Amino acid sequence: MGEILRVDQATKTYGKQGEKQYQALKGINFALEEGEFVAVMGASGSGKTTLLNLLATLDKPTSGHIFINHQDNSALNANQLADFRSRQIGFIFQDFNLLENLTNRENIASPLSLRGVPSRRIDPLVEQIATRLGIKQILPKYPAEVSGGQKQRVAAARALVHEPAILLADEPTGALDSTSAQELLDTLADLNQNDGITTLMVTHDPYAASFASRILFIKDGKIGEQLLKSGLARQQFYHLLIDHLGNGE
Amino acid sequence: MIWKLSLTGIKNRFKDYLVLFSGLVVASMIFYMFLTIAINPSFISKDIQAPTDYLNFIFAFGIVLLIIISSVYLTYANSFLLNMRKHDYGMFMMLGAKSTRIGLLIFCETLVTGTLAMALGILLGFGLTALVSRLLIAKLHLTISHFQVILPAAILWTVIFFIVMFFLEALKNVHKLTRTPVIDLLHENQKPFKYRQHTGLRAIEALLGLVLLATGYYIMSLPGAMILFIIPAALITIVAGSYFTFNAFFSAIINFLIKKKSFSYHGIRIFTLGQLKFRLHDYTRMLTVISLLFALALGAITVGLNFNTLKDQVEENIYYDTTLVSTSPTVKKEVARLAIKSRQTYHYKENKAHLYFKRGEFTNKPVKNVRFFLKNGNPTYHLETLPIKKLDRPGTNANNAFGALVPNGTAKIIRLVSNAKWQKLKGQNKFVTFLKVENFKRDYPTLLLIQKQQLKENPAYDNLYSASKPSSYQFISSFSSGFEFMGFFLGFAFLTMLASTLMFKVLSGTSSDKARYKMLYQMGTQVGVLHTSIRQEIGTLFLLPAILGVIDVLFGLKLFRIFLPHPYNKIWIPFLIFLVLYLFYYYLTVKLYEKIVLDYEKNN
Repeated sequence: MGEILRVDQATKTYGKQGEKQYQALKGINFALEEGEFVAVMGASGSGKTTLLNLLATLDKPTSGHIFINHQDNSALNANQLADFRSRQIGFIFQDFNLLENLTNRENIASPLSLRGVPSRRIDPLVEQIATRLGIKQILPKYPAEVSGGQKQRVAAARALVHEPAILLADEPTGALDSTSAQELLDTLADLNQNDGITTLMVTHDPYAASFASRILFIKDGKIGEQLLKSGLARQQFYHLLIDHLGNGE
Repeated sequence: MIWKLSLTGIKNRFKDYLVLFSGLVVASMIFYMFLTIAINPSFISKDIQAPTDYLNFIFAFGIVLLIIISSVYLTYANSFLLNMRKHDYGMFMMLGAKSTRIGLLIFCETLVTGTLAMALGILLGFGLTALVSRLLIAKLHLTISHFQVILPAAILWTVIFFIVMFFLEALKNVHKLTRTPVIDLLHENQKPFKYRQHTGLRAIEALLGLVLLATGYYIMSLPGAMILFIIPAALITIVAGSYFTFNAFFSAIINFLIKKKSFSYHGIRIFTLGQLKFRLHDYTRMLTVISLLFALALGAITVGLNFNTLKDQVEENIYYDTTLVSTSPTVKKEVARLAIKSRQTYHYKENKAHLYFKRGEFTNKPVKNVRFFLKNGNPTYHLETLPIKKLDRPGTNANNAFGALVPNGTAKIIRLVSNAKWQKLKGQNKFVTFLKVENFKRDYPTLLLIQKQQLKENPAYDNLYSASKPSSYQFISSFSSGFEFMGFFLGFAFLTMLASTLMFKVLSGTSSDKARYKMLYQMGTQVGVLHTSIRQEIGTLFLLPAILGVIDVLFGLKLFRIFLPHPYNKIWIPFLIFLVLYLFYYYLTVKLYEKIVLDYEKNN
């Protein structure tokens, strides 16, 4: 398996030169192998969202490089970045970010039509991913007509339908009840293990993070240490993580 | 404390308030401007010179229409204010503020915002009325002298209307706020919207909309004499028809396009269509009002401009440019300045009861006349050569027409005789010359002078000149100036209101749209594609009411056949003027909208 993501000495500073500046990221280095499920944990203000924005190519690092699928996205212009996002990245957000004026089917279809996939091929692909995620029966409904858990599955289907190189999830369980959160995390883990979907999830919830195979801790704009699952069962990994956090690491 | 919090809330949402405030200012400004024309008796009687009863009816009807439009507009603006404040007031209530206190707060806020906007609107109304009237009078070379910029009665009625409206809206807000549970106030924005509707019902509604529109258009083509029935009946059918058409017919088209995957699954077309579907549902009332405003604005400008062409039609409707009966040096001197195209002179002898003409003179130069008649109730003009045989046969059209062209021709009996017989007849030797000039408009002032001089020399010939081409031209010019001014004035007023309504509505939805566009951007949509989507979406919102508006105008112009023989004459000119202005508003709306919803792209 090859490397799918590499962050190389990435920094991000807000504020213009000569004004008061704030360095949100202070030289981040890490890499993700294809098929990995990595969680990034950190407290509020640690730089999690800034890092995710850089990985999502929504923002550019002040210095350093980010390679996704061996491509340095700092060298791309705005349109190339947009194309890059539409092909290589899938997103899941805390508040679903579904387009409420489209049906669930149309929401899931949108990344494909955006990529110029022929219309006759779109519906079969949408149904395939919807079946995989157990939401086929709610395809004709509008997001407002389904539950929070179902919304997040629709968001996951939309993120995955175009087979991106990496799935970025930003606090995906943040707005879900415990049952729906559990189901979604099971689905993400299942997609990772059985379909080899490379996933990077930003969260501050230890329970959610315990579904990953590796956890990176970010603090004050730097990646500190990491915790590896190394064959542990999820529950064991969760306890290890709790102990780790309890020790004030 | 709570007042302070409320003011801070306003400060934080200053931009939204500015949109709301400017919308209200425009509404009161237009209202005032319309009243300065509609309830200005001296302007109507002296500058327009039209039958007062008829005009009073037209203006009363216009005021009713303006009240309806302004009410819908104010209701909408008020709901925008309430939606904007719901969350803040919900929060205050959650923190323990009493609902009566909150009620008082929203009551005062609505009334104060409204009153301030109205006051500013009237003040700006003075300025704009002065500017527009001066501009139009200068540009169109109109003769308007009784138009008042500051009209106390108009101020009074504007104040009464707006205070009453804002008072009612304030009461409505209090009722809504104090009756809505706090939790709903806090989460109002997150409430899902529903636009599912029974397909069968929608099909019936779509059909009903088209049938009502067709009925309205048919009613407008009824004979002009039924005007008192036509206007209210057409208004009801067209308003209802437009509403149902927007609510069901256009939505059905959008739904059809969405379902046609080969069309909708292309780029972000599905999103654009989704946005439009959502908007059509949300905008039905607004689009109905806009299509009416569009029709009124375009109709007013078209009719106004058509009045301008009315005087051109005088040129075609009267054949000869002037009649000469004098050979005085002054008249000769003026005639010498004309560029004459044709000259027809007829000699005659006049006694107590008869006018004897030489028949032979008519053989060489027959008399021509533009005949007026009604064809299917419409005024029609036809150029004819008067048959010589009938010129002296009383009761014939030829005899009447010729009689009107010569001095005493209607009072005395006309006879055509041979040259030999004419020589033997007793009576005064006279002549009459009919002139046609190369360019009537250029020679019009001279022709008026010639006419005036001849009248001075022969005051008894008054009848001869009262309906001459220069006199008709002069009369129609002053008559049409009033209408032309009114048409343009109202046209621009309605257009301003229309544009601000549409712009206001589109811009008020930006907070939720912003998140949607950001989402698309994150998904990898190129910024250029987002711009295209916005242009298409707003373009459709501008286009749909424009289509209905144009059709309304094309049928509505038939109503003006009573005073305008060719209401469709040079129709492309007003349409072009309107198109340019409308496109300008479209462009402005797109730019403002893009600036708000796509502001995140600046970060990259």
